[in-house]
Amino acid sequence: MSDRPKTTDGTVRERDADASARGTEPLLRIEDVHKSYGDEEVLRGIDLEIDRGDVEVLVGPSGSGKSTLLRCLNRLTEVDSGHIYLGDTEVTAPDTDPNAVRQQIGMVFQDINLFAHLTARKNITLGLRKVRGLSAEEARQRADSELERVGLADQADSYPAQLSGGQKQRVGIARALAMDPEVMLFDEPTSALDPELSNEVLEVMQGLVAEGMTMVVVTHEMRFARGGADEITFLADGAIVERGPPEKLFENPERERTKRFFESIRHE
Amino acid sequence: MSVADALGIDPSRLRESTDDLGRIAMVVAGIAFWGWLLTRWLYDWAFARLGIGPGEGENFLSPTPFEEAAAALEGSVVALGPVRIPVDWLATLVDGAALAIDVAPALATGAWYTIVLTAASIALGFCIAVPTAVLRVYGGPFRWVALAYTELIRGTPLLAQLFVLYYTPYLALWLNDVDIVGQGFVPDYAFWIAILGFTINGSAYQAEYIRGALESVDEGQLTAARAIGLSKLEGIRHVVLPQTLRYAIPAWTNELVYLIKYSSLAGFITVPELYYRASRIASSTFEYMPIFTLLALVYLGIVLSATNLMARVERHVAVPGIGRVEGRQQG
Repeated sequence: MSDRPKTTDGTVRERDADASARGTEPLLRIEDVHKSYGDEEVLRGIDLEIDRGDVEVLVGPSGSGKSTLLRCLNRLTEVDSGHIYLGDTEVTAPDTDPNAVRQQIGMVFQDINLFAHLTARKNITLGLRKVRGLSAEEARQRADSELERVGLADQADSYPAQLSGGQKQRVGIARALAMDPEVMLFDEPTSALDPELSNEVLEVMQGLVAEGMTMVVVTHEMRFARGGADEITFLADGAIVERGPPEKLFENPERERTKRFFESIRHE
Repeated sequence: MSVADALGIDPSRLRESTDDLGRIAMVVAGIAFWGWLLTRWLYDWAFARLGIGPGEGENFLSPTPFEEAAAALEGSVVALGPVRIPVDWLATLVDGAALAIDVAPALATGAWYTIVLTAASIALGFCIAVPTAVLRVYGGPFRWVALAYTELIRGTPLLAQLFVLYYTPYLALWLNDVDIVGQGFVPDYAFWIAILGFTINGSAYQAEYIRGALESVDEGQLTAARAIGLSKLEGIRHVVLPQTLRYAIPAWTNELVYLIKYSSLAGFITVPELYYRASRIASSTFEYMPIFTLLALVYLGIVLSATNLMARVERHVAVPGIGRVEGRQQG
């Protein structure tokens, strides 16, 4: 983690420009991850490598384990067996501090989960103050620049209840970005939103893609998957069925199961 | 055409003006009540000791004119025929005023004990209740500790708890050995035992109210807090509790109101609070009905002040989406 480039102004992320020069070492490595809830095995041996700057979209029918896999990545859910590495750190190692890992992995939730008692700005400053130890003034400046980045500079003093769903989710993204993460995880970020509100969130996400942010995205938004993903992984019943670039999975999947899934989505 | 229209009254104006009247009446009553208590306390502790005025615990006004008036009214009752009943009532009322003047100093001093006892116990109880509730909801394998504490305390009578503490070997002796206890302004050991009892008892009830509010905060709030790198405890402290306590205010106010009134049980372990003083006076004068009516009025004054204060606190800490919502009176 020592070579982690630090950007403080939040708008310019230079680290990804030289990501390719860093070599081929993947940023996220998932090795044979298993997870069960009771008798039900929701992850049956997942192996996946995600390069720095790549956008990985996880798709699959509900109950396929996509969200569980995402939550294992920042240890909101503990794996039963297997290993997950972020750079040189083993996330799943017992002596790894999950709080330290989570600072480097931003997460955006389906049900948004903005801190209901705090304004948009304070939603962002809380982590900066209590986790990063920034001063009140530094945190405020950082929060305002993140809000500006997601186009909500004018809503800094609004409470979550005063924001639309799309605005809330953009604050949710800004809150995660403010911690300056290596990877951003998106757990169905638009499925709780009306279609017209989804667009503003997707635009922010497209902006992150353009900046070269490493992202793992669980979504049913095939427009985003098609336009933004470097790789799409199709999961079913807790296992990876097929993985490949969007055009291949959309147009020419190898597996019958994959083909049926994408056809069913197209009919929606 | 409605009645209001026929009379040329705008119903919304009418509602506003009665609201205003109600508010003014409450303010006047509040000023009178607290003016009386504060004046009495200040006088008894400061001026009376300097030898100014009638002396500590003595009446400011003389009840004699009221007593005479009441006697005169009662004397005229027989001759009045049909108007005897209202005059009789008036006599009772004037007699009550005379009695009120007589017992007011004792009630004011008792009210001081009641208020301090309640305020200290609710505050200390809160400090125990919050960790207990958090342990109950988030304590994992240690949840049973909080559960056992709550059920033990809630499941046994408060009066029994007070007696157990009062007669606990060495506790009273130990308190008595503390130099300042029972000296000057510092009340007797029974008072401290009562605070201990009410703190423990109230903490169990408060913990239940807070637990309910904790459980009403969406689980995703803590998940989101942990996802930005806060520990579970930090997440509870900075994200869950600030919301919980806002949700808990109405129920917590209820507990405060209860505590004000069941602090009267301290009288049974000789703490000279409101109820104790009133019952002592009643049993020596046999004026049970009027004295306990006056006692009830003093409790009412304290309770209404407390609920008013908590309503203000609730409004003050409310944020959009959490806490008091305007506009529930639809239509």
